[in-house]
Amino acid sequence: MLKEFIAQKTFMLPPKASIRIIVDTIEYCTKEVPRWNSISISGYHIREAGATAVQELAFTLADGIAYVVAAIERGLNVDDFAPRLSFFFDSHIDFFEEIAKFRAARRMWAKIMRERFMAKNPRSWMLRFHTQTAGCSLTAQQPYNNVVRTAYQALAAVLGGTQSLHTNSLDETYAIPTEEAVTIALRTQQILAEETGVANTIDPLAGSYFVETLTHQMEEQAWEYIRKIDEMGGMVAAVERGYPQAEIAESAYKYQKQIDSSEKVIVGVNKYATDHSPITIWRMKPEIEQRQLKRLQEVKQTRNNPKVKESLQQIRKASQDGGNLMPHLVNAAREYATIQEICDVWIDVFGRYTDPGYF
Amino acid sequence: MGRKIRILVAKPGLDGHDRGAKVIARGFRDAGFEVIYTGLHQTPEQIAAAAIQEDVDGIGLSSLAGAHDYLFPRVIELLKEKGAEDIVVFGGGIIPEEDILALKQIGVKAIFTPGTPIEEAVKWVRENIKPRK
Repeated sequence: MLKEFIAQKTFMLPPKASIRIIVDTIEYCTKEVPRWNSISISGYHIREAGATAVQELAFTLADGIAYVVAAIERGLNVDDFAPRLSFFFDSHIDFFEEIAKFRAARRMWAKIMRERFMAKNPRSWMLRFHTQTAGCSLTAQQPYNNVVRTAYQALAAVLGGTQSLHTNSLDETYAIPTEEAVTIALRTQQILAEETGVANTIDPLAGSYFVETLTHQMEEQAWEYIRKIDEMGGMVAAVERGYPQAEIAESAYKYQKQIDSSEKVIVGVNKYATDHSPITIWRMKPEIEQRQLKRLQEVKQTRNNPKVKESLQQIRKASQDGGNLMPHLVNAAREYATIQEICDVWIDVFGRYTDPGYF
Repeated sequence: MGRKIRILVAKPGLDGHDRGAKVIARGFRDAGFEVIYTGLHQTPEQIAAAAIQEDVDGIGLSSLAGAHDYLFPRVIELLKEKGAEDIVVFGGGIIPEEDILALKQIGVKAIFTPGTPIEEAVKWVRENIKPRK
């Protein structure tokens, strides 16, 4: 959720209300849905917004720290919920920097859980993560080069120890992928997993003088950021004063200047920029929207509308008075209340967060 | 030396991808233009109103979520209704080649697609947008 304010921007409610709902989710899952990963603490979007690798690492872990603090403040035992926290990172094009970043993340989180939060369960120390290859590194020019970039990025993620992987399609900068493009992205993973053998060894680059040095450096730099954020009062406070957002805007601008000056090479864009044939892109059929609207109408007509109203009222009351919202959300969902209807209650109770528009 | 060129950089619709808009806004500011950035989640009505209130010479619309073919024409329509069609409208983001022609036909003067260097956009603004007064 914190990454929404920092990067992805699909926020709705103000930070403190958002954190309350997050903790409700973690609390509920810990008790009622114990094998569900209660949250995906994300760096991907932070990186895509223009953060450096160190910023992605530091801000993600700082977000994680904020959630753990909030859950402990709620009264939860760290070893009860920490094993089901999960993470989500970007895999960008600087191969060894990314591997070092993943390794640093795993080592730092284990330290944070053991030393800062006194977690005793070894499963609490594990940083389990999903990785997506970097959409922002892909180009509209010579789109087939993106198949190669994605393959290298996927390899870095596996060598860095990811549990789960998404590979982007070659037409990433154009549209939602075509069937052909997404199949190549899938085959990229299958070749990696089933032909190369790289997934058969845990941390195969451990002991490499270069990778260990990079890992150490990334860790040092990331601790600096975390220290700064701690001094501000934690990530919620840092977000409220615009700190990570400003850092990211700065990094994004710097990065673009490096590309524009050719200090950073982007093959096909500022070097080897030969023409390419146009590719077929996916286009949405307008009937899809009509079909969904029709479905929505039918549901609203055939559901038990008094029960929906009552369930929304229960959500409103719990939102105002306190108490875990999840049982009420589950109940509302069972009655076919819509997401919009639930959100309207929350916007009314908590207020709508608006983008401060830093640049 | 006349007054500086004033540009509104705007994010219409629900699209939260603001990296490019912010980089361009900053690039324009460094190039010496006066820049107002609307922030996210603007309706076409809000954009047209802001453009007129801020007395800008040009509007840069950013869209990466596919709604450009509704949102961009709507902004132009509103500017026309309010007698401000001399404000130059240009755009950027993820916009398919086929859509660019249609947008230009309804009055979007330029579309900047992925890979555009900041300087290219700056140069275009300098050459195509003059202070309205």
